[in-house]
Amino acid sequence: MKKTFKTFPLLVASAGIAMLLPAFAGNVKIIANQSVKADSISASELKSVFLEEKGSLSDGSRVEPVISRGGSAHEAFLKEYLGKSDSDLQTYYRSLVFTGKGSMPKAIASDSELAEYVSKTRGAIGYVSSETRTDGVKTLAVLGVENDGVRKLITRVEPVYPSALHDNHIGGTVRLKVTIAPNGSVEAAELVGGNPILGESAVAAVKRWVYAAGPAVTKTDVTIPFDPGR
Amino acid sequence: MYRRIVGLVCVCLFAVHIPLLAQDFKVFDRNVQIHGFASQGFVHTSDNNWLTMYTSNVGSGEFTDFGVNASTQITDKLRVGAQLYDRNLGGLGQWYPTLDWAYAQYKFTPWFGIRGGRVKTVLGLYNDTQDLDFLHPYALLPSSIYSVDIRDATIAHDGGDFFGDIALGKKLGSISYTAYAGHRANSPHGGVAYLIKSDGLIFNSLEGIQYGADLRWQTPIKGLLVGASHQNQINDENFALPTPGGNIPIVSSDNSDWINQFYGEFTWNKLLVDAEFRRSWEDTGTKGVNESQINTHGWYVGGAYRIVKRVQVGSYYSHYWVGFPIPSILPAGSGHDYDKVVVGRIDINRYFNLKIEGHFIDGYGYPAVSPIGFYYANNPQGLKPNTNALVVKGGFNF
Repeated sequence: MKKTFKTFPLLVASAGIAMLLPAFAGNVKIIANQSVKADSISASELKSVFLEEKGSLSDGSRVEPVISRGGSAHEAFLKEYLGKSDSDLQTYYRSLVFTGKGSMPKAIASDSELAEYVSKTRGAIGYVSSETRTDGVKTLAVLGVENDGVRKLITRVEPVYPSALHDNHIGGTVRLKVTIAPNGSVEAAELVGGNPILGESAVAAVKRWVYAAGPAVTKTDVTIPFDPGR
Repeated sequence: MYRRIVGLVCVCLFAVHIPLLAQDFKVFDRNVQIHGFASQGFVHTSDNNWLTMYTSNVGSGEFTDFGVNASTQITDKLRVGAQLYDRNLGGLGQWYPTLDWAYAQYKFTPWFGIRGGRVKTVLGLYNDTQDLDFLHPYALLPSSIYSVDIRDATIAHDGGDFFGDIALGKKLGSISYTAYAGHRANSPHGGVAYLIKSDGLIFNSLEGIQYGADLRWQTPIKGLLVGASHQNQINDENFALPTPGGNIPIVSSDNSDWINQFYGEFTWNKLLVDAEFRRSWEDTGTKGVNESQINTHGWYVGGAYRIVKRVQVGSYYSHYWVGFPIPSILPAGSGHDYDKVVVGRIDINRYFNLKIEGHFIDGYGYPAVSPIGFYYANNPQGLKPNTNALVVKGGFNF
């Protein structure tokens, strides 16, 4: 009972925040079959995979993109990562298919079916809404790059998932703007989207990340999914 | 007639069985994809007959094409596939199926890959996709560059490509390149063969080596693509003049012909704007014997806007002219083709689309030498300077 009293205000606050941030509902998480070795993927690599420019990740894992037939996660994914509308993407894939340069990716109607397909298909990589249960698949963190030069992530510390939110199946994706010092340490991590409670945990973890050294301070966008199904 | 019936039956079977066709199946544990497309058009024109169809009376529906392909990804870097293509456009195509493309592609890295076999030629924005009606807002692409009657002059080559995509960083965008070389042959059922035959000659072959390159830059400005293509080709002509005493061969190997093409495309939300310029230079006859030059210019600018999810409207202006002196005795309309076009496209569902297009054409090019849709053979009364056309075209793909 004591525990319930303690967590109740937290739950109310989270629910209130979720209602105040409708964009949060449209967030997506990137999922992959367990055969994919990577735990994270850069935004540019993710785009290359879904545009069929790359058939494997930089760690050598063979990947096969899986797309959704529609819905809010699909729209959010196209907007955030591919920069194309659904009709543009269909036209793009068809131009590949009918000139022999690529395949039509597997298209699946619902998020749950997509997650299930990804869990069963070696190398499959797809996207679902943050709320979708994704048992049996990997959730990949997406690393974006704002300034020149990709800074390789050397040390990654996983954030602590607040048990009160996890136990009550409150999850989502947190977006951070991260400033990396020339020596590779994280100078600053600023929450730009997502649940503030999860964000606080993400910021604490990301501040302990270490990137490869670079010639100058760089900034990058980091997306961290909190999946209550895991 | 038999071929036409077979062709129409194939088109009908495609249309009826789309929902039943399995797009994926396994062969030796490899996932094989089957895809196809077909379109059927109707054209009515004022005055002149167009695109070798008899369009100026009640109109013509001899405007059908279809294709089907199979492909598989053997490894993450190697894929193979082939596509058959067949069309009947007035006096062209005649339902003779062709191997549209058939090649193996190996992508070592995103920035370097090779293809070998029969490969669609990358030239400008749409050369390799010009038959794929469902990819474009228009029923007919701008004839100043993509005249449907002479597609086979540049459509594919038997040879190989080098290609790749190179990311230049967020501030510089990315570039894609293709370099190719191979052998290509004009179809005996294409526009040039139609012209040669209508001159009373026998068309044996028109073929030669073709090589070139394309470089396109996806600029850091979101949605803006610019690029340039260059192509060289050699035309070995083998025709014959039939006489009562037997056929007299007309054989020549002309000098290198070339095409330069520059283009840009801008997409922003539901808007598409594109423009291209092409300069073509062709040496005909045998060097030092009966040599002559044909140089032509074409450009267009177009725009399309998707007003709702399933409806797109668009327009383009296409401008073509020949760059050599036109004999003064030729009537008005010779030497140029200026086409103003408006189109509406409805995507009935993911598979079917319907287009209605109006053309307002000033001129008919120079049909005796360099055809662009108009031929004296099916305009025996002579060509009028202006042509208005209504094109209705339905298509599907899966």
